[in-house]
Amino acid sequence: MEHVISFKLNGKAVTVRTPPAHTLLEVLREQLHVTGPKEDCAKGECGACTVLMNGQPVCSCLVLIAQAQDADIVTSEGLVKNGRLNPVQEAFLEEGAVQCGHCIPGLIVSATALLMRNRNPSVDDIRTALAGNLCRCTGYTKVIAAVQKAGKKWRT
Amino acid sequence: MEDLALVVRSEIDVLTPHNLAEALEMLHQNGPELKVVAGGSDVIVQLRDGVLRASKLLNILSLKELRYIRMTGGQIHIGALTTYSDIVHHDLTRNHAWILVEAARQIGAVPLQNTATIGGNLGNASPAGDSLPPLYALDATVVTCSKAGEREIPIEQFFTGYRKLALSPEELIEEVYFNSLDSDDRGAYLKLGLREANAISIVDVAVALRAKKPDNSFGKIWIALGAVAPTIRRARKCEQALLNKPLTSDLLKQASALAAEDAAPIDDIRGSAEYRKDAVVSLVYQALHEAALGKVTADG
Repeated sequence: MEHVISFKLNGKAVTVRTPPAHTLLEVLREQLHVTGPKEDCAKGECGACTVLMNGQPVCSCLVLIAQAQDADIVTSEGLVKNGRLNPVQEAFLEEGAVQCGHCIPGLIVSATALLMRNRNPSVDDIRTALAGNLCRCTGYTKVIAAVQKAGKKWRT
Repeated sequence: MEDLALVVRSEIDVLTPHNLAEALEMLHQNGPELKVVAGGSDVIVQLRDGVLRASKLLNILSLKELRYIRMTGGQIHIGALTTYSDIVHHDLTRNHAWILVEAARQIGAVPLQNTATIGGNLGNASPAGDSLPPLYALDATVVTCSKAGEREIPIEQFFTGYRKLALSPEELIEEVYFNSLDSDDRGAYLKLGLREANAISIVDVAVALRAKKPDNSFGKIWIALGAVAPTIRRARKCEQALLNKPLTSDLLKQASALAAEDAAPIDDIRGSAEYRKDAVVSLVYQALHEAALGKVTADG
């Protein structure tokens, strides 16, 4: 069983032939080799697979590829513009908000989605926006500092 | 096991209707083998776990006509494909259905709120569905539709048992509606989970107190318990003990103990039955206190 599905990925039109009940995440990683989003829990608990779908963060493990027809999908890779990291990516590097790095693409997508709505979030706003992204290394302190710094960069 | 589930999934067809009429026709033509998927947050997990077997899925996520929140004649109507994010951000729900907003906020983190729908939560029929206790407390009515027409079902009759619904394979959930909460009404929703985001409830409780009188008594009281029985349960003895009586902290404490009698919990990975029985009493007390007297403070 295969369908032809077309959508926008990181600004470019893509078309894939795929079983329609496979997930967006499976197609991104296994067919399109876009490996920023990760599969960990496959249940919507960990946030490692977070991507933007039509501007909103979603768990790509919980989206059928058939549901991505005509959608605008952005992964952490797509946040890099003309070889320049986006403010969240830069701030994560500068603050050292990374240890093993596995959860970081998801965290960066969630944080970017927050800052797109609110350039000056409180610590509570940041915690709420990132509550769905589990990190087992950092303890989140530097992650929150990085998002605050990214907000500042974005404002200036 | 995982591989087997993957192989099966690659053989599933997905039908995507363009409008509601087309969706209802597809349900009519295909019968029970066609399973409905909305936001996907339950169905995809169940497909992968092998809990749900389907040869075809009906992807209704594109039916924008079922995504709305409106108020008519003092009633809030919420279309089945309304997401939790919609509920969290809409002024009508924030002002007139805040116990549902609170549940929507706590059901999962932002990415889940963005895709999970209220119709999906109803259709999944889990006793731990977080939107369900508020809908019981709001005494909601579920509207279904099929080629044969619409039906209206009071929410307590919509859920007939553990993951069982009064819904035929040809029917879709169209919307849910309820009387809006007004400024004199009181309500609260509290959830006990293992984590503040993306956790399935161990116990959750919604209360609505209406028909307020000057002595802080209420003529109508709904207390709904989640995750402590095969379906959501109303704590009717507890409701009776409080009706038309001025609400004080002591009375709430006495009445809350009765909630344990309406709970029939099980042991599972999230908590033991014994723990749930204790937790539900405490959560009912806190929810009633928050609704009637303000948030419970550290000294009780």
